[in-house]
Amino acid sequence: MAKKDDAPDGLRLDRRNFFRTTGFVGLAETIASPAELAAQSTPASVGPGDVPVRLNVNGRQIDLMIEPRVTLLDALRMRANLTGNKRGCDRGACGACTMIVDGRPVYSCSTLAIEVQGKQIRNVDGLANGDQLHPVQQAFCDKDALMCGFCTPGFIMASVALLEKNPNPTPEQIKKGLDGNICRCGTFSRIFEAVSSVKGVQRG
Amino acid sequence: MANSEFDWPAKSSVLGTRVNRVDGPDKVTGRAKYTFDINRPGMLYARMIRSPHPHARVVSVDLSSATRMPGVKSVLMVRDFSSAPNNRVMFQGDEIAAVAADTEEHAIDAARSVKIEYEVLPHLTIVNKALDGTAPPVFTGGNVRDGRPAQAGDLTAGFAAAAKVVEGTYSTQVITHTCMESHGTVCEWAGDRLTAWISTQGISGARENFASALGIPQANVRVLCQYMGGGFGSKALSVGAEGLMCAKLAKAANAPVKLMLDRKEEHLATGNRPSAASKIKAGVSADGIITAFDAQSWGTGGAGATADFPLPYLYQVANRSRSHKNVFTNTGQQRPMRAPGHPQGSFNTEIIMDELADQINMDPVEFRIKNLPPQAPNAMWRAYLQEGAAEFGWNKRHATGDKTPGPIKTGMGVSVNTWGGGGRGPSPAHCEITSDGVVIMRLGTQDLGTGTRTLVAVITADALGLRPAQVRPEIGDTAFGVSALSGGSTTAASISPGIRVAAVKALDALKEKVAPALGVDAASLVAAGGRIQVENDPSKGMTWADACKHIGPQAITAEGDWRAGMSSTTTSGAQFAEVTVDIETGIVKVTRVLVLQDCGLVVSRLTAESQCYGGVIGSLNFALFEDRILDRNTGQMLNPNMEWYLLAGMSDIPRIDVRIKDQPERGVIGLGEPPTVSTAAAIALAVRNATGVTMRSLPLTPAKVLGAMRQGRA
Repeated sequence: MAKKDDAPDGLRLDRRNFFRTTGFVGLAETIASPAELAAQSTPASVGPGDVPVRLNVNGRQIDLMIEPRVTLLDALRMRANLTGNKRGCDRGACGACTMIVDGRPVYSCSTLAIEVQGKQIRNVDGLANGDQLHPVQQAFCDKDALMCGFCTPGFIMASVALLEKNPNPTPEQIKKGLDGNICRCGTFSRIFEAVSSVKGVQRG
Repeated sequence: MANSEFDWPAKSSVLGTRVNRVDGPDKVTGRAKYTFDINRPGMLYARMIRSPHPHARVVSVDLSSATRMPGVKSVLMVRDFSSAPNNRVMFQGDEIAAVAADTEEHAIDAARSVKIEYEVLPHLTIVNKALDGTAPPVFTGGNVRDGRPAQAGDLTAGFAAAAKVVEGTYSTQVITHTCMESHGTVCEWAGDRLTAWISTQGISGARENFASALGIPQANVRVLCQYMGGGFGSKALSVGAEGLMCAKLAKAANAPVKLMLDRKEEHLATGNRPSAASKIKAGVSADGIITAFDAQSWGTGGAGATADFPLPYLYQVANRSRSHKNVFTNTGQQRPMRAPGHPQGSFNTEIIMDELADQINMDPVEFRIKNLPPQAPNAMWRAYLQEGAAEFGWNKRHATGDKTPGPIKTGMGVSVNTWGGGGRGPSPAHCEITSDGVVIMRLGTQDLGTGTRTLVAVITADALGLRPAQVRPEIGDTAFGVSALSGGSTTAASISPGIRVAAVKALDALKEKVAPALGVDAASLVAAGGRIQVENDPSKGMTWADACKHIGPQAITAEGDWRAGMSSTTTSGAQFAEVTVDIETGIVKVTRVLVLQDCGLVVSRLTAESQCYGGVIGSLNFALFEDRILDRNTGQMLNPNMEWYLLAGMSDIPRIDVRIKDQPERGVIGLGEPPTVSTAAAIALAVRNATGVTMRSLPLTPAKVLGAMRQGRA
């Protein structure tokens, strides 16, 4: 899984097209050392055709028949019509796809859907409580922390993940927490203001 | 201009205030549907097939394997490649074919399976080789085209009058628009009628474009763009090869098709800001007047596209000469990019300004004021420079070269900008008020992300005495009438007058309905604070909801259009930047930027300020990070992505202070372009002030800063 706030792991170092064609099982064999391989139980080969994948998204169970190479982002956007989080760069650089998986922000464009079965997945579509915006969403509206809005869902999910982990971040922690996201319209100043203004996010 | 009832109000409780973006909640929840988000029943996914070579002859294309791939429904050539000259591809990413399949993964597989045989031809991607004649002859009629020369005054006399002369070569790099939402389209046919969702800066133009290219009446095409993820000029001109292929694939497959470009295609084939370079010799008198400016400039806008820019930028020089060469290269064609030409002109001009000022020991602010055009409402630089210098603490700026010990040096720089902008018609707006009190303002414009919907709501609400949230703006649909493309900071100034006219007319009609019930003359009524009432007499009035009950079953409708006198043209701005430079690593950090910017009448203050923040950050990217890097041997782009095509992140953002200089008497002007023109020059000059070394080429990478310092010391 591509974790944004960790040192790059093996998967992150590799190119998505690579694991798209080899499949994720093949990838593990390519990059793991013999000792690591021995420690793993050899997983059964899946694919290349459609396989059942069960995801828990925003507290709802979603059953899909997809190829193992389908990313979490694409599974939700193209198979579940959860289009809130966007595809910007498609390789873990821009952050528009940021979702929260088991409490941690991940680049969903660089995370295979099949990898996150059994985990709690949250994307921006499920963040508000009906018409009641999440405090982070409200702060973005109040501070005009968005322009075209295409990067916004990713920024919001990254901000929520940051504030759930650390409800009172220092300015430096806010900057570091959001450094994995890019806004081309240039709303950073106001995103910083918005996130700084949010109080009372529950520790996740 | 005679007063009219449509004139902008002298006072307003809405206009120019800090109104939250009306579509904010839709954008923060993910409910806002961008083209990329449109999913239609039975929709197919398409991919383009493109040349990997910067210059080649297509010998053969075999689509048969692709048609047999799983899930494939349609494969089409972009054009017939069977004979010259149509069989040549001119840049990496040049379009060849497209494929539609049931899933995107299948479309990608099928695109890879297309067999194309190329005869690779010698390519030209290095501008200097074209200029010195060592490049292969690629372009019919020559690789280099002379631009129009410009001359004024007497250059020889000007240099003779100079106390000091400076010479230098300056350059800016090719950058790409890198919109967060890539270019793309969803097309759906019903018989010979096409519905197209497209990420575009001009839905009206897109409709025309589809109709003429597909040979169907414009009336048969409906174009929709409710939300778009940025354009910056790259989505202004046409629906592109990918837009047409999407429509053709959908027709051939008899199913809706989505074709969104990927990030690599965006960098290669959807436009860029051309490079700009100049060799300048300029003279200055002892009292600080530029006496002569002699420039030879060049740049590349790609395969067959020009690369012009203003030079000198803004400053008045009586004696000047300028020649220009457009260099064609085997790269994707340029497209307008936020203030086309101006950032390049600004950088190529402003650096030598500080060099000249140093030669005569004059402060850069004072030197600029001496050489700028005389002050006028559309030429306010002198005032902004003085005011900005005071606020920024310019008097604390040290002379060129920070002499304090230690590796971190600080410096300040300044620059000025202008842009035309301004409005024009036709730009019709349609206002509708129904008996339930709902107000719709409908027009065929689109929102690049600047906040057009909010502007529509603010102007309508202001005219009707309502809150912006009580207005329903409807845009982004060609069914709402023709509207100009959103480019060149023209949208606000083009649509605002028509919106106000339509709203005022609708209100007049409502007053007529209400007046008899109140037993007053309709002319005595005003709309304010959610009420229709006799001016200064709340007892003779009613709430908006009650007033609208008098409308009856037939809604009030009114039309408006752009009117002269309600918009204006040409802005002025000045920017100050402060940086630190680590002279051991070459890393530049921008610490502060001050923006002084006018835009006529401010409609929506929050979004106007946001344009300035965004402009500064865009220009900071241009100054420090962005660069389209081509492999010198293969001519292919080395960083067609977002990890090596560098853009600022949160930690790179300085403190930015925005001072909008209101000029309400000038009407609406527009603000997208000007704030992004000059930050880069101010940053480069701040680096010069910090290090004592002149940075003449963007971007200011650590390697370049260290290199320049090494040279500067030698």
